[in-house]
Amino acid sequence: MLTLQVNGAAHQVDVPDDMPLLWVLRDVMGLPGTKFGCGIGQCGACTVHVDGKAVRACSLPVSLVGNRPVTTIEGLADDQVAAAVTKAWLDIDVVQCGYCQPGQIMAAVALLKGNLHPSDDEIDQAMSGNICRCGTYRRIRAAIRNVAGVV
Amino acid sequence: MRRLGRRAAGMAVLAGIVLTGSVARAQDADLVRRGAYLEQAADCEVCHTKQGGVPYAGGRAFDLPGIGTIYAPNITPDPETGIGRYSDAQFDSAVRRGVGPGWRHLYPVMPYASYAKMTEEDVRAIRAYLMSLRPVHAPAPANQVRFPYNIRLAMIGWNLLYRPSGPLADEPGRSAAWNRGRYLVDAAGHCGECHSPRNMLQALSVTKSYAGATIDGWLAYNISSDVDSGIGAWSDPQLAAYLSTGHADGRGTAVGPMAEVVSHSLRYLTPEDVAAMVTYLRSLPARRSDETIAVVSPEALAQAGPNHSNGGRLFAGACAGCHLTDGQGRQVDFATVWGARSLGETDGRNLVRTMVEGATLQSAHGAMVMPGFGPEYRNQDLADIANYAIGHFGNRVGHVTAQDVAAARGAVPPS
Repeated sequence: MLTLQVNGAAHQVDVPDDMPLLWVLRDVMGLPGTKFGCGIGQCGACTVHVDGKAVRACSLPVSLVGNRPVTTIEGLADDQVAAAVTKAWLDIDVVQCGYCQPGQIMAAVALLKGNLHPSDDEIDQAMSGNICRCGTYRRIRAAIRNVAGVV
Repeated sequence: MRRLGRRAAGMAVLAGIVLTGSVARAQDADLVRRGAYLEQAADCEVCHTKQGGVPYAGGRAFDLPGIGTIYAPNITPDPETGIGRYSDAQFDSAVRRGVGPGWRHLYPVMPYASYAKMTEEDVRAIRAYLMSLRPVHAPAPANQVRFPYNIRLAMIGWNLLYRPSGPLADEPGRSAAWNRGRYLVDAAGHCGECHSPRNMLQALSVTKSYAGATIDGWLAYNISSDVDSGIGAWSDPQLAAYLSTGHADGRGTAVGPMAEVVSHSLRYLTPEDVAAMVTYLRSLPARRSDETIAVVSPEALAQAGPNHSNGGRLFAGACAGCHLTDGQGRQVDFATVWGARSLGETDGRNLVRTMVEGATLQSAHGAMVMPGFGPEYRNQDLADIANYAIGHFGNRVGHVTAQDVAAARGAVPPS
């Protein structure tokens, strides 16, 4: 039995040590907002925050999470930065099919919490591990830059 | 009354037999348990198992340049193709003297020159463990060995020159930990078989012991106590962590053959045995070699601006997702690569092999896997990524070419 700190609450989960965090979130805890993409940490669709850092939940064994707080896209409902990001996303219609977007938003929020005025290079570096099949990269970059003026 | 006495005596005899039987069984179980641990320390499994094959059933090929291809035999208790018909003495002779039943001389691919330093009791325990496995019928493919190496009797001369005459005797002036560590490193663990260069007759060099060597295209690093090119600059906790988990922050993660050694052998050793190995490794004489260690701190790496070269851009897209540009690793510590020796070696030999083969390391938290780069990346792209990584993490000028990548791709065993 493991205790996980997810979205501000402690949860007891009975899962194998090597189960990836993504499986625990989606299938055991019923939090489907985090998406499964490639399963090998290459696409970024499963990005969540662990201790404020953007990590790929598909390749993080749950036993390595420990006491560090985990935040999923569901846990950002009342977050100020996340609200500004969501608005910026809507303002310029970033989303096309939307499948990668929870991961994109998690990566963007982690970036902006550490650096409210990132340069294009810094944005590209932070977001380069998040792949978008629809090619919304330019709008993602523009939306992130727009957030900097709001918060 | 007399009958009762006879009965009691009979029961006492019976109890005695049962008791002796259970003591013998307990002793056997104890021997098997001890053998299981020693087998892990001696790492028989990794060489005696082919990729995707049944453990211990043999078949793994060893390509020896200029000599030929030698296949590891089946060491399950199968009577026909395994060790089922070996006596204790025959097994001991094969393992410690390199001479199998019927005076069949083994090639020193089997590290019997190291195992010769093990004790007879330990080898007997290993046999007891192997005999407890399920027998698997699996004949090894025939070796293909060129003349004159195919004359097995030539090994008699080699053995006279290079095979130690018996087990290591404890050095009285040294601590128990040092002696135990030497036994685990020099004898059971046979570390020198990869990490020491070989002389012209394929025997391990004594004057350059543990100074590093190339084996199967991989660089087995210098593990002598030299500060610049060995492990002299590693801390004790770093060494212990690397041996027991395959990773130490600031020293990278084991890949290739070393990942196999950690996965099947080292990670099962007790903390006391790992500490003993560290004690002994610390005492190895310093041997300078060409490959020096470069450690650039994550703080310095974070300062480096974005890199717009082909390699830099590809790294950001394909590698930084897990390793991060500051090398600290995103998901797991095993992806923390700053300070790794493979990133300071300007020919990028181990780096390129890792990129094309990927890496798998078994850990207490499950398998840690890096996927290999497939054909969607051109050879030149991978060379560019490697040279960028060597420049960024190792502060060196990388010399990896597209030809190097092509060669490494050719060396990948078909899965």
